[in-house]
Amino acid sequence: MDLTLLGAVIAIAGLGLLMVYSATQNRSGFAPTYFVQRQAIFTVLGIGLMVLMATRDYRVFRDFAPPIYVATLVALVLVLSPLGSDKRGSQAWFQLGPFQLQPSELAKVSVIVCLSAYVAAHRGELDGRRLLTVLALAALPMALIQGQPDLGTNLVFASILMAMLVVAGARPRHMAALVFAGILAVVLVFQLGVVKEYQRDRLGAFIEPDSETMRSAYSLRQSTIAIANGGIFGKGLFRGTQTKLAYVPEQHTDFIFTVVGEELGLVGSALLLVLFAIIVWRTWRAAALAKDLSGTLMCVGVLGMFVFQIFENVGMTMGIMPITGIPLPFMSYGGSATLASFAAIGLVLNVHMRRFS
Amino acid sequence: MAIVGVIGFSLFAAMFTRLWYLQVMDSRELQALATQNQVREVFETAPRGRILDRRGRPMVANKISQAVTVKRLEIKEDPEVPVRLAPLLGISQAELAKRIEDPRYTRFRPVPVAEDVSEELVVYLRERSQNFRGVDVVTSYERAYPNGTLGAHLVGYVGEINDRELATRKDKDYRLGDEIGKSGVEQSYEDDLRGRPGRIQLEVDARGRVIRTLGSTPPVPGNDVQLTVDLDVQRLAEESLDQGLATARGRTPRGGGPPLAAPGGAAVVLDPRDGSVLAMASNPTYDPGAFVNGIRPELFQALQAPPSRFPLNNRAIQGEYAPGSTFKLLTALAALQTGMINPGTTVLDTGEYSLRSCRGQTCTFRNAGSTSYGRVNLTQALTVSSDVFFYSLGADFWFRGGPNAQAIQTAARQLGLGDRTGLPLAGEQKGRILDAGIRKKLNESNPKAFPNGRWYAGDNVNLAIGQGETVVTPLQLANVYATLANGGTLFAPRVAARVLRPGGEVVRELPPSAVRQVPMPPNVRDPIVQGLTGAVADPRGTAHGAFAGFPVDVFPVAGKTGTAQVVGKNDTAVFAAFGPVQSPQFAVSVFMEESGFGGAAAAPVARRVFDGLAGKPLEPIRTTGAVD
Repeated sequence: MDLTLLGAVIAIAGLGLLMVYSATQNRSGFAPTYFVQRQAIFTVLGIGLMVLMATRDYRVFRDFAPPIYVATLVALVLVLSPLGSDKRGSQAWFQLGPFQLQPSELAKVSVIVCLSAYVAAHRGELDGRRLLTVLALAALPMALIQGQPDLGTNLVFASILMAMLVVAGARPRHMAALVFAGILAVVLVFQLGVVKEYQRDRLGAFIEPDSETMRSAYSLRQSTIAIANGGIFGKGLFRGTQTKLAYVPEQHTDFIFTVVGEELGLVGSALLLVLFAIIVWRTWRAAALAKDLSGTLMCVGVLGMFVFQIFENVGMTMGIMPITGIPLPFMSYGGSATLASFAAIGLVLNVHMRRFS
Repeated sequence: MAIVGVIGFSLFAAMFTRLWYLQVMDSRELQALATQNQVREVFETAPRGRILDRRGRPMVANKISQAVTVKRLEIKEDPEVPVRLAPLLGISQAELAKRIEDPRYTRFRPVPVAEDVSEELVVYLRERSQNFRGVDVVTSYERAYPNGTLGAHLVGYVGEINDRELATRKDKDYRLGDEIGKSGVEQSYEDDLRGRPGRIQLEVDARGRVIRTLGSTPPVPGNDVQLTVDLDVQRLAEESLDQGLATARGRTPRGGGPPLAAPGGAAVVLDPRDGSVLAMASNPTYDPGAFVNGIRPELFQALQAPPSRFPLNNRAIQGEYAPGSTFKLLTALAALQTGMINPGTTVLDTGEYSLRSCRGQTCTFRNAGSTSYGRVNLTQALTVSSDVFFYSLGADFWFRGGPNAQAIQTAARQLGLGDRTGLPLAGEQKGRILDAGIRKKLNESNPKAFPNGRWYAGDNVNLAIGQGETVVTPLQLANVYATLANGGTLFAPRVAARVLRPGGEVVRELPPSAVRQVPMPPNVRDPIVQGLTGAVADPRGTAHGAFAGFPVDVFPVAGKTGTAQVVGKNDTAVFAAFGPVQSPQFAVSVFMEESGFGGAAAAPVARRVFDGLAGKPLEPIRTTGAVD
């Protein structure tokens, strides 16, 4: 049992609850504790899922990879059907009573498991045909997710895939070709108008942050102002003016880091980054110590997922990455993302626990 | 594995660096922005100071108005707001939409959609402000003009500040949408009249909802400006000028030609004792009230189109006219000052004057109507307006050469012609006094526009009687006569006497200011004054007809008619005078465009003004048969 990793995760989740409360306590139309109560429920459920994921041997997951993969695809198809619900122009949720389930979040973990299983089954010898199979396995769920559409989640998928392929031993020229194809795809996506206007605005805001006419530029500007406003020691818990007066949009979800930045200052946000770094370090360590290739790849996939999400999310609030709707693990308000993050940690704990057996 | 580790490590390093940069290095600047975010300043305009006449009667005042205003950008966010608002104002949706889109308002200014609304409506709207986003009730002070158009050019008008004005007043706390004086006294005394806007600092959230008031500074009302202008004299001058122009308009000039258009003119009354402007009339005029809350663009365009005869121009200081025979005062002054003649020197006026050693038609200059006046001295020449007498002076100056060649110009410049008088109103023109040197320079710098580079004797002859290229403003000419009247003190005319606090306490006096003392000993001044007095009182005088019945025995007036030829148009009628001669209190000039003879058109206007100044009952203007 990796207590360091577990401790870091619990600490971040606890801080996350505090920050969600700070960001939402004055939200008009909602009880002050509405959001934090729900997030507490998600956290408890997440811990349960983590325990579940840690206790079954990960090789069982590996052996059940094909049905897991099919189930994932079915869920992603169903969410596009009338069974799924549309929110803010994105068909990504199942409405389950008072909660929403977002299958694309959980799909990240299941795809990590399935890709690891396939690559490990071939002992990491990735010739061209097998590489194409891996790409196809990843491309199917990604295509369904793009149908929602959810560009941010797909970017997470892309980074998971890259990390796993590098460690699995894909040939350098294949990797180079992939990177080139990726760039080409981005260009095409822009040229063909697949990217929605708001997405282009967000990227534009990153390039030209002072054009306040753009709503996204506004988000970016307000969020950097909020973080800078914290200074070294912060404005104090629950005392951030940018936060209290709702200047930063989506502050309890995508922009939660600005609350840490403003209220807890450099001290608090650096501490949070250190905790994240611990998670990344322990995951990397679990990957290195894993008994078999499937364990290593599962940890590497989780590593790719976390590193990208953390860097993209924190980077976006500080104006060094474009704005995309990617949650900050264990911090952002949101049930499915919280469950997925805990499940991923469960997987890492699992691999770590069974490194000798 | 190592690659993944290195990438992860460097990404974390990047985040720490950026965090450090934002929260430590860049923090101060961005923290200021955070404060700016939360604090909104609301400005409250100060009531603008009034403009009073010399006896304290308001020429421009303020009226308080409660208006319902709409912020264009905000009201668009909720389409229900106009639907709720229109019936409350008792107007249709379409009408409300039209008012909101009123082009007089820039998007930075709330647009008033209803003025002077009831107190009940104000309370209703304030209590339900959340249902009326973008709708406000504002108490504002508007310019009010209790005397209508009277003195419009003097007081000027106000309007919304433009980018250029804003740029030149960066340090003076102006914002887009502010009102600023655009012309006249409103413009010249802007800093006194404006006062200081009040500020209220509010803490607001991202949606602009007010959390609390942080502090406020009340507005400081602007100061009043008291003018030297007398409302009664101003009204007298404007009415007389308007009547005079109306009388002249449509008449056939003596000697034939197209009917007189009499499109406009100006009249100025100065106090020669200190250079105070008592009245300044410019015709046609405009209504400064039309500029309140922004003038309608089509009206503004109409005011600048030729059919309007340009009522926004203040012809008293912007009109440049040939002075005609009224200029003879300066030729006479030059001749006496230089000692070229003495009061007894005579010239035989046969009705025409020929330049010696010159042949051809342009060498002969005639009196108006080729009248012969016989042997005349200076005083008589001024009284009857003998051109021949002054032609000979002009020619003699030129043929003598040396400084005398410039003597007329020197006298004219001494009395302020060819330069701004210094009246503190914007747009004043300089007029023009040419001489050989200036003409040469003009020709050298721009031969196309000024093909003629030489000065001829004939130019001096024309100059002597105020023709040729000489032009003056009505204010300049009045100031010349005022200077003769007071014995030689040239004042920079003043229009404002003092600045007062709203309570009446004097902030500062605006004393008269003398530009220079022109030497005018009795042997120089007396023959001229005598000649001008004769022009009014003597039966042979050119203004005698216009002043028939005027009590010249108790209120003697010294004046001079002028009829200035304008190429391609009817003559400009001019009259300049001062009185009473023994202790001058008033100097008057009247210019009427395309109105014929000075004695027939301009002198009667001045006569009516003097009637009023002398306390006589006023009679309607009628034309006289006098010539110049």
